[in-house]
Amino acid sequence: MTTNSTPPVDDEPLQSPDEALALIREQQRSVEREQLGGVPWILGVWAVAWGLGFLALWSGYDGGNPWFQLPLPAAGSIFGALLVTAIVTSAVVGARIGRGVRGDSAFSGAIYGVSWVVGSAAVFVTGIALSRAGADGALLSLYYPAAYALVAGLIYLMGAALWRSLDQLVLGVIIAVVGAVAPLFGAPTNNLVMAVLGGGAFLVAAVVMRVSLSRRAR
Amino acid sequence: MTDLDPVIHAAARLRITATLASLEAGDRITFPRLQELLDMTAGNLSTHLRKLEEAEYVAVEKSHQGRTPVTFVTLTRRGRRAFEDYTDALRAVLGGEE
Repeated sequence: MTTNSTPPVDDEPLQSPDEALALIREQQRSVEREQLGGVPWILGVWAVAWGLGFLALWSGYDGGNPWFQLPLPAAGSIFGALLVTAIVTSAVVGARIGRGVRGDSAFSGAIYGVSWVVGSAAVFVTGIALSRAGADGALLSLYYPAAYALVAGLIYLMGAALWRSLDQLVLGVIIAVVGAVAPLFGAPTNNLVMAVLGGGAFLVAAVVMRVSLSRRAR
Repeated sequence: MTDLDPVIHAAARLRITATLASLEAGDRITFPRLQELLDMTAGNLSTHLRKLEEAEYVAVEKSHQGRTPVTFVTLTRRGRRAFEDYTDALRAVLGGEE
């Protein structure tokens, strides 16, 4: 490292304990904002994916949306495209949260990331098994959203435990409950339940987090 | 007034220590990312890190990722304790005034 001749900046003792405490608080908030600033966006893209995606599916089935119908392949494509967008956005933004940091928390973060892959794959494979065992389209359209929501809800609960996050705790409980309750409404209404309650929960979580991050900035 | 740790009781080093303390114990951060979180020049950050390193509050570790050299910075146990003692002392001083 080269020695530089310019004197270091901010080397003088601080004036008062108040000033010191304020400086600590301000700096730690700024770190938090810098690290978590992307999270409301992740929640936001999932709100759109669930809200619009499940509305599209609901509009794709007979007996669904009474106002307008979509051809089922189109509805499925909309749903799929929104899902892929949300997954890619989460992966990219999520990977940036802990960038430059190595160590114990990176391990937790990696497990959290892997859980999504393992959980989603398990839902998919189980779905294939159900289909081979004779489950028809209507049954599978109940199974997939419910199973995925249960996995997602539990992973949010794990995140809540890992990072002591109340936001994730509330979101996890809501998503798991929505997943469990939606099939009770039968197909295709379960898609509407997923869109309104699931998408709504993500939307509220995104707004709450955005507001709380900017409030801490002051 | 309680003696406040002179190593930490300067704006730049307090901000550095507070940032490192906000990471989980056992985590280390790359120099450029730390610089980003602090919005300090590399030269200034190096100078202050050296002082923290001399006090054994901070450990600076150089390694390689492929061919690029990477510098990791971490708060030592001693540094974390010093920061906690320091914030306790601040609160004691402020509490005593009321």
